[in-house]
Amino acid sequence: MIARREQHLTYLLLGVFSLIALAPIVGILVTALQARGGATSFGVPDGLNLENFATAWDEGNFADYLRSSVIVTVSVVVLSTLLSILAGYAFGMMRFRGSTVLFYMMLLGLMVPLEATIVPLYYDLRDLGLTDTYWALILPQVGASVAFGTFWMRAFFRSVPRSLVEAARLDGSSSWTTLWRVVLPLGRPAVLTMVALLFMWTWNEFLLALVMVSDEGLRTAPLGLAFFQGRNTTDYALLSAGSVIVATPVVLLYVFLQRHFIRGMLAGAVKG
Amino acid sequence: MAPVSFAEVDKRFGDVEAVHALTLAIADGEFVVLVGPSGSGKTTALRMLAGLEAVTAGTITIGDQVVNAVSPGERDIAMVFQDYALYPQMTVRDNFAFGLRRRKVGREEIEKRVRRAADSLELGELLDRRPRELSGGQQQRVALGRALVREPQVFLMDEPLSNLDAKLRVQTRGEIKRLQHEIETTTVYVTHDQVEAMTMGDRIAVMNDGRLEQVGTPEELYERPANLFVAGFIGSPSMSLVPAAGVPLELRQAPDGAVLGVRPEHARLWGQGDGLIGPLEGEIAYVEALGRETFLGVDTGPETRFVVSVAGRAPVRPGERVRFGLVPDGLRLFEGDTGRALGPATVRR
Repeated sequence: MIARREQHLTYLLLGVFSLIALAPIVGILVTALQARGGATSFGVPDGLNLENFATAWDEGNFADYLRSSVIVTVSVVVLSTLLSILAGYAFGMMRFRGSTVLFYMMLLGLMVPLEATIVPLYYDLRDLGLTDTYWALILPQVGASVAFGTFWMRAFFRSVPRSLVEAARLDGSSSWTTLWRVVLPLGRPAVLTMVALLFMWTWNEFLLALVMVSDEGLRTAPLGLAFFQGRNTTDYALLSAGSVIVATPVVLLYVFLQRHFIRGMLAGAVKG
Repeated sequence: MAPVSFAEVDKRFGDVEAVHALTLAIADGEFVVLVGPSGSGKTTALRMLAGLEAVTAGTITIGDQVVNAVSPGERDIAMVFQDYALYPQMTVRDNFAFGLRRRKVGREEIEKRVRRAADSLELGELLDRRPRELSGGQQQRVALGRALVREPQVFLMDEPLSNLDAKLRVQTRGEIKRLQHEIETTTVYVTHDQVEAMTMGDRIAVMNDGRLEQVGTPEELYERPANLFVAGFIGSPSMSLVPAAGVPLELRQAPDGAVLGVRPEHARLWGQGDGLIGPLEGEIAYVEALGRETFLGVDTGPETRFVVSVAGRAPVRPGERVRFGLVPDGLRLFEGDTGRALGPATVRR
């Protein structure tokens, strides 16, 4: 009896939490389908106004902005992943002088928020002539992502049995070959999880894009949403439709990688 | 194929001395077993030979080359790991071929060697499987095969049988011995199991606390242990070691504090055998019936327990008192404080 009651309680709790998590998303979807003007989220839908998406697409300039987002995000994810794998391999598997100090220095990159560094970063990049270029969006985000990525990949490399690497060394394999042929194939869940996380963070980055670029052609999709927020009035229907457009790629990637994603999240939990 | 030698090799991890002044010469084609309890330094010695641990002092030689500064990949050795360390994402065939490809062995030669190793280990059907699709015993044979195909100068084996069940272990023990005999490659084998050591090694090196206690053939170690540690470690059940002063026998040349060592087969029930010395009398502490023989633990005093071997089953129970005698040739004397062997003990009758 107790077991059953416990089970009901568990479902109830999980149900409540799911509702809390889902409510804003449903709210945005519903609002995105409302007629423009007057409507608020959580209102009863007054029909399926799919034209909101088309309007939002045009007014938010999403054709250009999404292209910029793709360029920036793909560059950041590819570069960060590559560098994180290499750095994580070194920190996780090689013994070298100063590795602990260096690793903690990298961790600093995880702890300092972008808001704290954005102003000096702006001046630095301006001095280098990089503001209003994709580099101003790519380089800082690669820096931030590598801090997390190195931390993440190091944890994976540490979980790989040492004897496997030793067997490869005895087989005459170089560090480079050992990484790509022996160790990394085991880390696919960890790498894909990292890719999904980095993609999401980079895609959603707002502040950096707001500060570093003013050129219309370089703006990323999250900035497009700002158009729908006027000084005095906000068109919630269009804002919601725009939000759905911006969020869709991340959701698609998540669905695509989700099996690996979950496995990767659990990878460090149990050593086995 | 090549001889291997350790000369005054030390290994320290910080303040801990894992191996101390290890000197050991292994002949070309010889099968040497390093045996000892955990923490004795045997695995560290093997890993230094493999190049997986740096040598703190001394030299290690393979063939005529000092290998202290040679990387593991260039030492031309192959190792079987305790956990097998098979590449999980590769098929058995690729596990075999990986090391050969790294060494730029030709495609046809690789195929030939893989085929030969697979046949000799009965893995032919499994070449396209991945390690996780194999049983523990099959994985173990793949690990052996991966070492075999390399045709190295020296095989290193680090407790390769410890993850197998008892029956498979005995079977694989014979298999490894047979393979080594066929290919005559120098082999260094690490185990904590003295039965494995006794059955497999041409010679056995007993280690304890980072030091080499004795090297010799299984017979030498069994018949003439150099000290109390080896006497107690080799043989199952182990040699009974009792203070000589506590035995009601007149031992010649036994110094103060000497320890008398008697193997179980040299202690028999009184009346079962001619020429026994005794009788000694004691209370049975335990009875270990193995079917073909029975071992009795007999306490003749508070600190003196003899293990007595009885053929077949023995109609006795713990708590009963029995009389037994000792075979005159089987008595060994050891120095009490150093543990050093003093040779055979003789008894004034």
